[in-house]
Amino acid sequence: MIGFYHVYKQYIKDSYAIYDINLSIESGEFYFLTGASGAGKTTLLKLIYKEELPTKGQILIDSVNINLIPRKKLYRLRRKIGIVFQDFKLLNNRTVYENIAIPLVVRGYRKSYIDKMVKNSLSLVGLNHRKNYITSHISGGEQQRVAIARAIAGNPKIIIADEPTGNLDTELSIEILKIFEKINNNGVTVLIATHDNNLIKMFTKKTIELKQGNLVSYPSMEEQQWIY
Amino acid sequence: MDLLKKSLINAINNILRNKLINFLCLGIISFTLLTLGIFNYISYNLEIFTQNFSKNVEAIFYLKNDVKEKEIKAQISKIKESLLIDEIIYKSRDEAETNFLAQFPELRYILSEFDKSPFPSSIEIKFKQKESNLTTKIISFIEDIEKSDIIESKQVNIDWAKKVLYIKKFISITGIFLSGILFFVSIFIIYNVIKLNILYRKEEIDILQFVGATDWYIKFPFIIEGALMGLLGGLIAGFLLIISIKLIPSYSDFISNMLKEIISFKKIPLKILIRLLFFGTIIGLISSLFSLKKFFKN
Ligand SMILES: Nc1ncnc2c1ncn2[C@@H]1O[C@H](COP(=O)(O)OP(=O)(O)OP(=O)(O)O)[C@@H](O)[C@H]1O
Ligand SMILES: [Mg+2]
Repeated sequence: MIGFYHVYKQYIKDSYAIYDINLSIESGEFYFLTGASGAGKTTLLKLIYKEELPTKGQILIDSVNINLIPRKKLYRLRRKIGIVFQDFKLLNNRTVYENIAIPLVVRGYRKSYIDKMVKNSLSLVGLNHRKNYITSHISGGEQQRVAIARAIAGNPKIIIADEPTGNLDTELSIEILKIFEKINNNGVTVLIATHDNNLIKMFTKKTIELKQGNLVSYPSMEEQQWIY
Repeated sequence: MDLLKKSLINAINNILRNKLINFLCLGIISFTLLTLGIFNYISYNLEIFTQNFSKNVEAIFYLKNDVKEKEIKAQISKIKESLLIDEIIYKSRDEAETNFLAQFPELRYILSEFDKSPFPSSIEIKFKQKESNLTTKIISFIEDIEKSDIIESKQVNIDWAKKVLYIKKFISITGIFLSGILFFVSIFIIYNVIKLNILYRKEEIDILQFVGATDWYIKFPFIIEGALMGLLGGLIAGFLLIISIKLIPSYSDFISNMLKEIISFKKIPLKILIRLLFFGTIIGLISSLFSLKKFFKN
């Protein structure tokens, strides 16, 4: 589902944010992406949805080499991936419903279908009672869940989340991660960047660890050595 | 269709939201188009004016003395081909003499001194009285004939029409020049306003791109917004033009009679109004497409 082949990323000369990364995430897997601040987690995620281009190397998403996707067809890649941003990127003056509906409206779906899908997403994150609230009027934890609901609304194959528990207390963080587990149980590939080691221990998922742009630990590295 | 409706609503909302800047925009478009409209209207009136006076135009071409009959016939049949012609009369030198004598019998003694008629042969042309027979066409037709080798001189009194047409040409060129400059100024201003609007909504555009909106989906509302603004500017300009033409005659003391004779101050032809709407929309479209192109490049 996600494949990196000798991927390098340089923002500035002589300094690598990502250095020679090889990895392969199969469809339906649940991965944590961890590492200290500045290790390159956000960069790696941005490379997946092509907000950043690799300096060198190939990236395959759903068997498509994304380097070769022209600007005009980028939306096809974006529709395969649901993104939960660290800063949520919600439209604060719109309602919860409107925010979650955006990916569906953009795809040109009918109103009745959009209603149904938004309702499903809201139930998944447990926010049905906040449907018509203005987004800036709900709590941070609730906004986080709206962001997740929006990411899942368009029925993506992959969910990517950058520090989705960043500013939440432990209890809420566990709740959020349980939502991701539910999403994963429906067959969606999940990749979550976090530096919260307690959570990683608690949920015992496969973990990719970065250190200064290098891959330092990757669970199935031995088994998958033959790929490279 | 749904997208169009939504884009229209969005565009109107945006125009209302940034009232000041958008009304400024509308002002400059309207001003540009009003200028275009005024010049168009004056040219149009001058043309109508010359047209009305081009009725009953007659031209007489006097031929050289040594012209052969064959050449004359060729010239006449060439003239006859034109759709402008109503009647063509050829008078030989003898016929001219006979005519002269019929009119002034007492001058016969003068002619007796010549052994051949002293009058030149001539071709007389009457033009059809039709709307489509524009003065410009008649003038260029006459000038064409004049170039012929067999023509000695011509007698035709449309010099005044020529002068009016020169003025019209001058006014048209000035109008095109002025409107052209204003055209670019408005494009430049609207381009920047739409760029501002795009930046203003950058956050939303980013989100739309992340959730898989196509470029066109994102661009469409801005294009509609630009076109709508241009169209609105055209409407305002048309409205102002009609108002001023209705109002000016009531201040007629200031206007010389000559001017009143030339400009009807009554109705504006639909084609000028349509032109204003068309150019307004074009200005809006071009500016929004330019600003979008700039934005979507990076
Ligand atoms: N746009 C950019 N321009 C220049 N350097 C950048 C840019 N984005 C990231 N970097 C650098 O790349 C490296 C990796 O950054 P990245 O944001 O991927 O780290 P991170 O693991 O997400 O960190 P954090 O946990 O703090 O979010 C850092 O050294 C950072 O300074
Ligand atoms: Mg980060």
